[in-house]
Amino acid sequence: MPATIVVLVGLLLLVNFVVINPLVAGVAREVLRLVVVVAAAAAVAGALALVLRHGSDLWRGRGDRAGSLVLLIGLVAMLAAGFYPGSAGAADPAVRWLVAALLAPIVAALFALLFVFTLVAMQRGMLLRSRQVTVMLAAAAAVVVLLLPLGGPAGAWLATAASWTTAVPIGGVFRGLLIGVAIATAIHAARIVLAVDGADD
Amino acid sequence: MTEGRRRPALPGWTWPILLVGILAIAVLVEGAVAPGRLVVANPDTAAADALADAVTELPDGSLVLVGMDPDLGTYPEIRPAVRAALDALRARGAGIAVVSFTTEGRAVAAAEVARLRSLGATDDRLLDLGYVAGAEAGMVLSVTELAPAEGGDVPEPFAAARRGIAAFDMALIVGGVDIGPRTWVEQVGTRLPELPLAAIVPAVRHPEVAPYLRSGQLVALVGTARDGAAYAAAGTHADGLPSATGMLVGLVVALAVMLRAAWARPRHDADGGSPEGDEA
Repeated sequence: MPATIVVLVGLLLLVNFVVINPLVAGVAREVLRLVVVVAAAAAVAGALALVLRHGSDLWRGRGDRAGSLVLLIGLVAMLAAGFYPGSAGAADPAVRWLVAALLAPIVAALFALLFVFTLVAMQRGMLLRSRQVTVMLAAAAAVVVLLLPLGGPAGAWLATAASWTTAVPIGGVFRGLLIGVAIATAIHAARIVLAVDGADD
Repeated sequence: MTEGRRRPALPGWTWPILLVGILAIAVLVEGAVAPGRLVVANPDTAAADALADAVTELPDGSLVLVGMDPDLGTYPEIRPAVRAALDALRARGAGIAVVSFTTEGRAVAAAEVARLRSLGATDDRLLDLGYVAGAEAGMVLSVTELAPAEGGDVPEPFAAARRGIAAFDMALIVGGVDIGPRTWVEQVGTRLPELPLAAIVPAVRHPEVAPYLRSGQLVALVGTARDGAAYAAAGTHADGLPSATGMLVGLVVALAVMLRAAWARPRHDADGGSPEGDEA
């Protein structure tokens, strides 16, 4: 049954993409609206599951209770700011303050820690003396040198070299990856549409 | 080397603190560096120029859709460029409509819309289309229909926006980790090949998106902190740029750690298997 639904929806959207027909377009639009509703429902269900999980942990004294408490307090604070009577939702000043003063700095700080963690991981990886880590280290060192924010002719040369590196070797690799992903996706989609054995696993 | 001759190592937790301290000092001493010695803006201004040209070449009274879907972790990197682009669009007289397909993007969009309103953007020049659920499915629906966040009437200059993304003269995509230029090219670019797509993304997404610029599916791409700085410095946000000394010191520290790792002697546990961890 799921495979049949996927095949029908996939074919409908494909036909709608290729053929200009008001009836097909209308049906495809309704299907897309259904997909949007399902996606929104999944997001709400996910949030509810998160609350239940951490509420249950807190109630029964399991797991990281402090973490669960912080999560639930954060959730309640954000919901209160977005849903109090007269609130402007996501555009409400209270929500914007919570995002700008708390959420954004915390997330940005966590992302910035990647710098430290990547260096530590690289150092640990080099202790293995594997060829892959050595290549990665050499490439990373080259990129770091190209990004040095120097002025003058040296800086201009580094910037030109960085642009070439992005456009040619790195760009070539990513172009190949994108083409490979597109071909693999097309093949997988075709296997589903043609109901090839095991394609829906 | 005997155990007794080994230098005592600093505890692992001190290294991040030391790094933050060094970076803070580097930022503080920026004023002492002679002008022109260190520049955060990319001397190769091709990417910044392409975005500036895309805005300049817009027809009078044009409508621009800003797809605001950055993530909170990487948005600080591209914020100066995004604000410079929004200011350039305002200066060009374009009608700006802002839409988000991710919740994080909506949070950032709400802040940027409020900033534009505080700068004097009026309802006939700025339309908040809010959050569209359904990710890629929502984006495909938006090609033919878009409604403002509040529901009600749309100001006259934006009346065409109800026809969806097809009604706009350009889309400026502010990308993040989830939805970005790649999704726009796949879902919107294929359906509206005449719509110019310009993009601002953090460096982490740049290599993935760069091929779309070379293929012509994007008309402009600002995708690194230095390109963003070059674009912002040419506009109105030269003050919000990252510190060149901070960037230099951070990169030098990274290089030093890499060199130390390259020269480190391989270490194995008693079974000759996995190496022991070294904190820094």
